[in-house]
Amino acid sequence: MVAGPVAMGAMRSPGETSRANNELRLSVEQVSYAYSPNPTQAPLFTLEATSFQARAGEIVAILGPNASGKSTLLKLIAGTLEPLSGRVLLNGFVTHSLNARTRAQRIAMVQQESQLLFPARAWEFVLQGRHPHGRALRFESATDIAVARNALAQVGATQLSDRWMAELSGGEKQRVILARALAQQPLLLLLDEPTLHLDIAAQVDLLHGLRHLAVENRYTVVVVTHELNLAGEYADQVVLIQRGKCLRVGPPGVVYQRELLEQVFQTPLSVDLGPSGRPRVNVVADREGR
Amino acid sequence: MRPGFSRGLFFCVETFVAKDDEELQHIKRSRLTGIADMLSPTSLALLVVIVAASSAWAQTSSTASTSSQAQNGVPAAAQTFREVVDETGRTVRIAQPVMRIVSLAPSLTETVYALGLQDRLVGDTDYCDYPPEAQKKQKVGGAINPSLEEIAHLRPDLVLVTRHLNTLDTVHSLDALGIPSYATDPRNVDEIVASAKRLGEVLGAPEAGAALAEDLQHRLDVLRQKIGALPPRRVLFVVWTDPLISIGKDTFIADALRRAGAVSIIDSQQDWPQVNLEEVAHLQPEVLVFADSHSETTAQHLDVLATRPAWRILNAVRDRNFAVISEAVNRPAPRIVTAIEELAEKLHPEAFVERPTPDKVSSNTVADAKGLCAR
Amino acid sequence: MRPLTIQRLFAQCAALAAILFVVVIIALKAGAVEVSLFALGRDLIRVIVHHGGEIKSDYGLIVMNIRLPRILLGIFVGASLAVAGTGFQALLRNPLADPYVLGVSNGAALGAILALLVSPHLALLPAVADLLTPLGAFLGATATIAAVYFLGRREGQIDSTTLLLGGVITGSFLAAIIMFLMTSETGSNLRGMAYWLMGNLSTSLQPSVYWILWIGFLLGAGAIYTTASDLNLLLSGEKEAMHLGVDLPRVRLVVYIAASLLTGLAVSVSGSIGYVGLLVPHVMRQIFGSDHRVLLPTAAFGGAIAVVIADTIGRTVVPPAELPVGAMTALAGAPLFIYLLRRRMA
Repeated sequence: MVAGPVAMGAMRSPGETSRANNELRLSVEQVSYAYSPNPTQAPLFTLEATSFQARAGEIVAILGPNASGKSTLLKLIAGTLEPLSGRVLLNGFVTHSLNARTRAQRIAMVQQESQLLFPARAWEFVLQGRHPHGRALRFESATDIAVARNALAQVGATQLSDRWMAELSGGEKQRVILARALAQQPLLLLLDEPTLHLDIAAQVDLLHGLRHLAVENRYTVVVVTHELNLAGEYADQVVLIQRGKCLRVGPPGVVYQRELLEQVFQTPLSVDLGPSGRPRVNVVADREGR
Repeated sequence: MRPGFSRGLFFCVETFVAKDDEELQHIKRSRLTGIADMLSPTSLALLVVIVAASSAWAQTSSTASTSSQAQNGVPAAAQTFREVVDETGRTVRIAQPVMRIVSLAPSLTETVYALGLQDRLVGDTDYCDYPPEAQKKQKVGGAINPSLEEIAHLRPDLVLVTRHLNTLDTVHSLDALGIPSYATDPRNVDEIVASAKRLGEVLGAPEAGAALAEDLQHRLDVLRQKIGALPPRRVLFVVWTDPLISIGKDTFIADALRRAGAVSIIDSQQDWPQVNLEEVAHLQPEVLVFADSHSETTAQHLDVLATRPAWRILNAVRDRNFAVISEAVNRPAPRIVTAIEELAEKLHPEAFVERPTPDKVSSNTVADAKGLCAR
Repeated sequence: MRPLTIQRLFAQCAALAAILFVVVIIALKAGAVEVSLFALGRDLIRVIVHHGGEIKSDYGLIVMNIRLPRILLGIFVGASLAVAGTGFQALLRNPLADPYVLGVSNGAALGAILALLVSPHLALLPAVADLLTPLGAFLGATATIAAVYFLGRREGQIDSTTLLLGGVITGSFLAAIIMFLMTSETGSNLRGMAYWLMGNLSTSLQPSVYWILWIGFLLGAGAIYTTASDLNLLLSGEKEAMHLGVDLPRVRLVVYIAASLLTGLAVSVSGSIGYVGLLVPHVMRQIFGSDHRVLLPTAAFGGAIAVVIADTIGRTVVPPAELPVGAMTALAGAPLFIYLLRRRMA
């Protein structure tokens, strides 16, 4: 990815209170969740009380095997689910209490491929990100257009601007979706398994770009993933979850302990230090006899 | 004793006696006794039902051949049949004499009464309401999909159908049941008269048919004498107002209008054309004709029409030139002549005044004309 | 990057309005009676300037009292159905949705039939009696809207899939009742009902009804238009729309009620005219794109143009009879639908 113009910071949405570099932005306080498909059945799925905090410019990775509750935690952070207990604070505001529009001005969610019902061009798609910042019936202003252009540039997708969404490859689509999220000018950027359909180069590209954006634009980024090494390489904090239980929170160096990881992922692993000084997790193949 | 359909097939086992189907009887008995001690009560009851049902079905297939003999106790050899060709070209084989008739159309019911053969009418449709006594007859359902069970239950010698109301399906089903059906298909007033006459012949009362036809023809001749020379009045026959529906030029109703000294301004091939109001406004009919035996509802309806701006363009609406005649005009039956006479009198009142003195004619008849036509 | 501007929106709407104007002129000219438009225009101006007085000429009366109201009714019905169809397609996230899919038209038809059956037994003022059928139809429509709304809720909010299912089931249930009623009436009653159900613009209405229709259209279409941007986002997915700040429950409720009311109004006065609500949005999408801020107004114009053309053809092709406009839209609509379908698949 290519770094975009630095002017992004000057276009911040007004009303933002946190200007200090390392002020606490996101505070997840003992949130839990239970879900039952109908009132007579016992709750199917729970997320037990989980807490962590994040500052501006940080990347937090929520890590765990499939169906461990990662996406649920992300939705709780996003404010679209109401926690059974606890709360999520973004700059002091409880995310769930905000109305949809205000929430969308501060939190942007990047999910997997969206299913477009009717054809749309990439720039139209990105412009949708400006929706929370406008009145009900509006036409895009010059500011909106500039922000959208900028967002595309930041993800290195300017040349995709006039293409139809349906024609883009998986990686290209992912970039445009990210650009839309950036166009929202959020404080908090949430991504749910963004690397699923990407090849390794694209994955690295994405995470590298995210780190750059986080630092550059003072975002707080929360990424749900099960890619251990990508998280280890790029995340400032890791939240390790297994079956609804948060087992450990901390920098990768602290969380990536062999016994812990093996317990969570149920497979023999080994941990060492990679060339960048970050922990690296290796799969241990079962050769004949151990 | 004749075998018969019955609804409670459970119970018809005991009442079932078929003179000529002893084989079937034997099978039935042996099944019942042989299996009775082997099966549980419910399965036994179910089996009884199945056997009884199949016996009943087998019985109806043989109804055709056995009906005539069992009917009036005449032994098989002496039964006479007639072959007639009905008005749709079908050849129908009818047992003689025809004692039990079922009519599947109100017009046919009326014709049967007009022929004086109502005692032989054993069933008619839910909509057969004229004459009032017809409502007391056994009902077999609607005209379009009557109940075949009911019809068969009445054991008719002949079922009367008409092409403009009944369906081919019904006729085929009756054929399959072995019940003969005679179809009429009158397309104009002359054919209605001829159809009534033929029906009298088919039903074994040719004198009644001839007398009826003669009477109707006489009335029509008298009418032609009175108004034949007068210029026909231009009318619109209104079947429905929202949307505006009238009648086509080839229908018997259009012919009836002609006989009444009127001409329908709508010249369409369709039988029930939906008509453009503009067209009517352009043609400006003199009189709007409605067929409704309940004149109060029509009066209400006409008041409503007069309030609409689009309809007020019609002179006939503004001047209240309406003629409401009996619903008999909608049925191809003898009573249509009464409706024709009724309409003729309303449209040409001057022809019906009984020999007035010459100086009274001019002033009175004009006033009477308005009075008769207006509501 | 060429985002939508007000100027472009106006330009596109103006182009369509011009086309509609031309179509209306042609429709005014076409018909059983020869009309000199020049003379008519002159008379019209004279009437307007002198505030009143009737147009005396024969053709003038016909045009003003029969043809023009019919054309205006066609514009209203076409615009309402097209806007309602666009709304439903967005609400249900289904390109096959049309205004009748949620059973509103069957409810209206049932209401009209019941009104027809009941009215001879009531002693009413003539003007009121004339309104009974459209009123019955509208009541039937609103009852259906309410019923389907309650059926279509899940956890207290409208859910697209549940709504669709509830609507389809209600629709077929009502259709069965209609069929039952129609088979129990014979003769001219049956025939009239069948023509009405096919979709018809030939009912002549009281002037007050026209005002109600147009006010209803402005309210309904206006309400849907306020959600235009939200509907754009809905197209990307419901969850995404929520994350982008769309108040989903409110938008769903507004679109559902407004689109259903538009449909109810249209069907109350003209029966079920088919294919307009389904196809006009698709055609406009092909030409103008999926942005609802453009799509809604252009669909309104497109629907009006389509219905007026269909009705004009229907009433001039087999004089003195006429073909119901619903038959014309079906004849044209079915092949067009197949064509559009194949283009999407290709």
